[in-house]
Amino acid sequence: MRRKQAEIATDPVAFEAFYRRHVDAITRFLARRVEDPHTVADLVAEVFVAVLDSAHTYRESRGSEIAWLYGVARNTLSAERRRAFRESRLADRVSGRRLLDSDDVARLEERIDAESRARRAFEAIAGLPEGERAVLELVAIDQLTVTEAAQALGIRQGTARVRLHRARRVLRDVPLVMEGTTG
Amino acid sequence: MSFEERLLMELKAEVAARGAEHRRRVTVRRLFAGTAVAGLAAAAAVAVPLLTGTESPAYAVTKNTDGTIRVQIKEFRDADKLEADLARMGVTADVTYLKPGTWCKADRGHVAGGEAKKPEDWDKSISGRAVRHRKAGVDIDPRYIGKGRTLVLMYTENEDQTSGPEKPRALWQYAGLVIEGPVKPCVVVKDPSWDDVDGGGQPPAGS
Repeated sequence: MRRKQAEIATDPVAFEAFYRRHVDAITRFLARRVEDPHTVADLVAEVFVAVLDSAHTYRESRGSEIAWLYGVARNTLSAERRRAFRESRLADRVSGRRLLDSDDVARLEERIDAESRARRAFEAIAGLPEGERAVLELVAIDQLTVTEAAQALGIRQGTARVRLHRARRVLRDVPLVMEGTTG
Repeated sequence: MSFEERLLMELKAEVAARGAEHRRRVTVRRLFAGTAVAGLAAAAAVAVPLLTGTESPAYAVTKNTDGTIRVQIKEFRDADKLEADLARMGVTADVTYLKPGTWCKADRGHVAGGEAKKPEDWDKSISGRAVRHRKAGVDIDPRYIGKGRTLVLMYTENEDQTSGPEKPRALWQYAGLVIEGPVKPCVVVKDPSWDDVDGGGQPPAGS
């Protein structure tokens, strides 16, 4: 499986299948966190370039592909927030915003509007310690299972469960916080 | 075309560039696969039936009104005869039929016009224009082959022609290249990617 996954970085056919499976989920994941359509477009491009760079790190069965991918997306987003990605060579080679036309911008804006409830939830949980916030985000907002969230964050399942429990205890009145599976 | 489709095209070019860097051996075949996904799936579904034990000719060569040559392949045998027939029509060809799980070592000589670097370039390349896989055979355009060039065709086919989502397998594999100058002989090597087909969204590696 590990070798197979690395193939998405070198085989256009395998990559296309992977891209088509996940491009919507990744766009929504980013629309929950970023309000500007141009930045969303850049980040979608950036996430998939990061997928190419880190395809060799994927080694689970296909069922948790999305968890691995959300992990990649989170890292990409933190990089963007540090503005480091703008200096990266690959960001110049595959830039999302360059590919946008006005229809695309309108469509992305709709996506971003649709995720406004989730973005308000992010503000509400902003005060939590980083580790707890990360688990809560992925479970309550991105609808991962605890197992998948742990995988996305590279932490043990037990740790994720404890952090989720703590976060929920602090924030039980905030909408969305009690949503998501406990599995 | 939407943003998502345009982004996919750029990313695939990036993937192809990486594939070329990392695994030059399979570049030609995979680039072809990258450009003809839909065609491949369709062609795989109507893959050449093996008519062993019959006396019917293994292939049929016909000249189309537009000057192109149609080679309809019915059985993977008599490669030498096919080469001779094509030579009579002015096309120097080197045809190799391989056993499943094997392939010719990538180095067959200098690819006319250079190897396509990106999937999008394949159709525009000399090889891409000279030979196109269509149904159970190829269409050859002799204008792109000419003097000093050789059309290199390589085919392999699975004995088991059943494939589906539960049991995906490569049905056949094809490559067509125009080589400038001398053609190196086919050095048969094991093709590990032959069995490397699973439900990961890849069509059968019928390229």
